[in-house]
Amino acid sequence: MNERTRAGVIFTYVCAALVVAVCLFPFLWMALSSIKVLRELYTIPPVWIPTVPTLENYRTVLFDSNIPRYFLNSVIISVGSTTLALSIAIFAAYGFARFRFRGKAYYQSFILIGQLLPTAAIIVPLFVTLRYLGLVNTYLGLILVYMIITLPLSVWMLTSYFRAIPVELEEAAIIDGSSRLGVLFRVTLPLSIPGIIAVLVYSFITTWNEFIFALTFATDSSVKTLPIGLAEFTTEFDTDWGAVMAASMIMTIPIAVLFLSMQRLFIGGMTAGATKG
Amino acid sequence: MRIIGKGAALAAGVSMLALSATQLAAGTVTWWSPNFHAPRAAELVEQFHAEHPEITIEIEVTTSDGLPQRVLTAMQSGAAPDIIDVQHGWVAGYALNNLVIALDDIISDEDDFIPAALEYVRVDGQTYAMPFRVEGLAVIFNRGHFEEAGLDPDNPPETWDAFVEAAQALTGDGRYGFAITGGGEFGNTIFRSLPFVWMNGGNFISEDGTQAIVNQPEAVEAVKFYTDMLVEHGVSPASTLQNDGTANRRLFIAEAVSMYQAGQFDLASIAAENPDIELGVMKIPYPEGAETAAILGGWSFVIPTGARNPDDAKVFVEWMSRPENMGVYTDTFPARTSAMEMERFQDPALSVFGEMLPHTRPVPSHPAWVQIMQAYFDGVQRILIGEQDAQAAMDDAAEDIQALLDQH
Amino acid sequence: MTRISPGLLFALPALIVLTMLVAYPIMYTALLSVTDQQGNLVGLQNFQRVMQARTTPVAFYNTLVWVGGSVVLQVVLGTATAILLNEKFAGRAIVRSIAVIPWVIPGIVGALTWAWMFHTEFGIINYMLTAPGIVDEPVGWLVSRNTVMPAMIAINVWKLFPFVAIMVLAGLQAIPKDLYEAARVDGAGFWDEVWHVTLPQVRPVIVAVTLLLVIWALNHITTIFAITRGGPANSTLITPIQIFRLAFESVQFHQAAALSVMFFAATMVIVAVYIKVLSAKEEKSL
Repeated sequence: MNERTRAGVIFTYVCAALVVAVCLFPFLWMALSSIKVLRELYTIPPVWIPTVPTLENYRTVLFDSNIPRYFLNSVIISVGSTTLALSIAIFAAYGFARFRFRGKAYYQSFILIGQLLPTAAIIVPLFVTLRYLGLVNTYLGLILVYMIITLPLSVWMLTSYFRAIPVELEEAAIIDGSSRLGVLFRVTLPLSIPGIIAVLVYSFITTWNEFIFALTFATDSSVKTLPIGLAEFTTEFDTDWGAVMAASMIMTIPIAVLFLSMQRLFIGGMTAGATKG
Repeated sequence: MRIIGKGAALAAGVSMLALSATQLAAGTVTWWSPNFHAPRAAELVEQFHAEHPEITIEIEVTTSDGLPQRVLTAMQSGAAPDIIDVQHGWVAGYALNNLVIALDDIISDEDDFIPAALEYVRVDGQTYAMPFRVEGLAVIFNRGHFEEAGLDPDNPPETWDAFVEAAQALTGDGRYGFAITGGGEFGNTIFRSLPFVWMNGGNFISEDGTQAIVNQPEAVEAVKFYTDMLVEHGVSPASTLQNDGTANRRLFIAEAVSMYQAGQFDLASIAAENPDIELGVMKIPYPEGAETAAILGGWSFVIPTGARNPDDAKVFVEWMSRPENMGVYTDTFPARTSAMEMERFQDPALSVFGEMLPHTRPVPSHPAWVQIMQAYFDGVQRILIGEQDAQAAMDDAAEDIQALLDQH
Repeated sequence: MTRISPGLLFALPALIVLTMLVAYPIMYTALLSVTDQQGNLVGLQNFQRVMQARTTPVAFYNTLVWVGGSVVLQVVLGTATAILLNEKFAGRAIVRSIAVIPWVIPGIVGALTWAWMFHTEFGIINYMLTAPGIVDEPVGWLVSRNTVMPAMIAINVWKLFPFVAIMVLAGLQAIPKDLYEAARVDGAGFWDEVWHVTLPQVRPVIVAVTLLLVIWALNHITTIFAITRGGPANSTLITPIQIFRLAFESVQFHQAAALSVMFFAATMVIVAVYIKVLSAKEEKSL
């Protein structure tokens, strides 16, 4: 695409700058707040740049709170639920994308059912279900519950990515003697890597930030997750806002860096002529 | 499938199954204490263990964000802990849904309790919680601003008229005389406006709980007094509709507001965040010839119906209710008069808050009370947003409230 | 009994896990909606009471505005961003990573940060507008009926347009380069390519993303609840928040369940129609 005009290039950079500004603005505000002293957090007019930057808030978060432990819990739970959801979803999505069977539309809608029930309605009976299974206050409990959120996302998105892959590629492999599963793993998945990464990142983040289920189903410090840690900085009438901001930075930056490191896998774009086998 | 049956049986059946799967040491009591009470909870539990080695108290620290949902989910699903710290105002709802047990047998010296506190947690003559913490709001003001405006900080205004005049004198140059709340959780605005209705001889609902009286002249006049701070006098900030008590405190700390209603819990944050402010506290202003009033706020212990160890829980709650322990545990004031003698409550900064206590009242008890408050709050917001005057908004609120009353 | 189709077999694990999780909640909610606190059957009483409430139609209307406004803007802006991020330019990898940040920021923290930025007196937004004199008076973003819902929608769009962007971007990766080459041989410009090659190719992705966005918007609580709690004067009250309030503030679990059942039925119909219409269009199977 090197024949783009100069105006087009400028337009691209302007748009990119706009996206960066919109996405980063509140984030920068948080970052600045996290190094402000209490007095400068709420002033009229607002203070942009802290006059006495401090790392006190980070010290509080890292050494005087449960955040480090909750970070570990969050990693385990998010990795667990993302992996589990993705491995189940790959098969389901493949089934939906490549086969015709009776009632398919109903099964596809059923995948969404957990998300259609209002949270307020689902939370009590879900808690009862988890107790029945003996999974309250366990990693597995939260990992399972998060299937309600991550499965619809994973199944639906992967189905659409699989559909975008030309059927001819799979037919060629089948003619060469591959089994259905062989086709899925050797042809379809490698071609869907950008899609899988996108789904992975988003299910990971969704569970990483989930609050209400975590609040209800994880009441013990050994399984509490980061959003609960944030809530612990709030007392009855006050919030340690600097600490909340510092903790949010600690929650946000690793994920953005993780995604940055995955960019290599994202360059995708099938090579010219791939469809011709 | 045996599970398909009656609602209660369904939940109970499942929780029994779950219970049998859980192994519990006898004599263990689980106590949910919120993070702002927890440090003192740990101290007291240590003492209790020394006196009662046969009982083990396990503290689970809860957070104030989402606490009502969490408590209700646990109670509703039959997986509740043995003791929970809850706000007085929540207790009636639990009692009416059979979610907590009566504690009359462990309340020994009834007369020692602040009557409003016990009244709060009583439903049909039975006491469903042990109040331990009580407080009432007062008006916190900036003494420096008073002097700048030519007012005497040692003689703050007492009546409604004098108060409005003072607020007007304090307003100007991007500074507001008196901040009311109109946003956030509706409790903020109920706590700050319902007392005005009471002082003026009104209420939301009639004594017997059958009539909505929030559109009677006494109530409407008080609601008008409250909302006029924004609508008529402009002494409350333009952001009123998005401000709760915390936002008002921040505006006060930023010196954009000179007076606002708050509890004693705000004193420490103000001192920490803006030590330059010289603080004053005054009683909530009242109409000429009437008396001041406030809503009694605070916390109680409840023992859920689903508690696994209610007997030992009662032993502990009784122990906690003794003046010497209650006085240590409370964040503000204790619910027993005898505990008020303790050194920590003699701080002069607290004296006005202490003087407000005898004027505090519980909110009316009614199964639909939360929805009644919501209907009233919607009305107040309609006034503040400029769509209706006080009479019209309260007429609509009365209609909504009457519909709720007629359902019960 | 015919043998199970291999397609269904592939989908089975997902269906089983979900059934296990939602079967009891659905039964429980349905049962709650027709009983009272003592467990007696009361027929449709709970439904009647919910329908009588003045707030129910208001919330229903607000939900439509909220879902419509959010989803349309999210899809349009997200897709545009995806096309942008698929262009080659210096720093593209960084911009792509920055684009996930609104989604990574914890929902409550993001909401509260926005609430303070929108604050009439404290807010940085009003400060930026008043300081250089763009507007004379601070704008009451969250305290007026005209601006509060658009502000909420803006926050929701900010939060979720990156999701659309990354998902569509992943879809763009799968477009064979020879399609573009063919278009270019035919003399197509950039916008022709977008319209005739790019968009048709990622249509399935956009369709799936839109469905998820509709569901998330329909079932949204965090942003609105954290900022306005449905106010002022119910101008941002949407049905899921009404249900939440009924259940956890008013302790009216039975009415909340009745409203949930109605809400669930309505959303289920929307989803079923959407899927039916689309699956008829794009059945492309082996």
